[in-house]
Amino acid sequence: MTTKKKILLALTIGVLIAAGIALYMFNKPARDVQATETDFSYRASAIVNEYLTDAKAANAKYLDEEGNSKVLEITGIVSDISEDFNNHKVILLKNATDKAGVSATFTVETNAHTNTVKLGDEITIKGVIRSGAAFDSDLEMYENVIIDKCDIVSK
Amino acid sequence: MKKVILTMIALVTISLTVSAQKQVSTKTHFKFFSTTPAENIEANNYASVGTITPASGDIVFSVPMQSFEFEKSLMQEHFNSKKFLNTKANPKAKLIGKIANLDAVNFTKDGTYNVDVTGDLTINGVTKPIKEKATVVIKEGKISLASKFNLTLADYEIAFKGGKPSTNIAKTVEVTVEANY
Repeated sequence: MTTKKKILLALTIGVLIAAGIALYMFNKPARDVQATETDFSYRASAIVNEYLTDAKAANAKYLDEEGNSKVLEITGIVSDISEDFNNHKVILLKNATDKAGVSATFTVETNAHTNTVKLGDEITIKGVIRSGAAFDSDLEMYENVIIDKCDIVSK
Repeated sequence: MKKVILTMIALVTISLTVSAQKQVSTKTHFKFFSTTPAENIEANNYASVGTITPASGDIVFSVPMQSFEFEKSLMQEHFNSKKFLNTKANPKAKLIGKIANLDAVNFTKDGTYNVDVTGDLTINGVTKPIKEKATVVIKEGKISLASKFNLTLADYEIAFKGGKPSTNIAKTVEVTVEANY
């Protein structure tokens, strides 16, 4: 093999590897939240109160710049069960005496796990935080902590 | 007889008050759609909260920005990043609007009503006035709202300096809104 051929071969391999990495990056699968280690475990009241006390500090602690925010396990009392426009189950964990709760959205894969959940049950969910609780003066109401990609954690 | 009439008046008053009061929607859908020769990009958000006040025509939406889901995770990361929507610093977008032609809507009668919504939209920490068309549907006393409008990203200081995202994302994106109150 001549030197010229060797260089050409090395270059070709380099280009192929670069193209492969680019393709992988472009098609990178979304993070599997359920397979990700839990960052924090709380009762619904605790995270709601943390946000109502200092939303800025809580956002700094839980939100990620690229949207891969903290994975939380939240335990609370089921106060509402509904479904969103995407046919995903939404369970609200909220203490009757709290101003806001934790709204947990499930996925196509985990929807069925909510079938046996009833109002008043105490359950633990795991998911990724999307936004915190706050009083919104324009809505004139409290907004819930929003957790997405949820599944029920059996204890 | 007098009692019956009084009761009826009371009931009608109560039902009228209820229909005029602020109503909340947590069943919502916001969609961004961008199309360029290179590719179509779509993002969906089902986690927003909205209110509508029939008496005043006030419409408010609070949109958790990290709840936008993209088909490709790399796009979602770009969207959230400092270069684009900086969702860690600005986790929520907000629409504060008013139905300009409130007379055109009869909230007590089933039907589809075309409305003009004027107000302020805050995205990425930047507030701009908007004036868009929307549809209010009343069915069996339930209110729903739908709208489709275009948003110029540069108005909200959303712009990529260069590279692939700057060529693959349209300068103007289509926003679709639906909410059941």
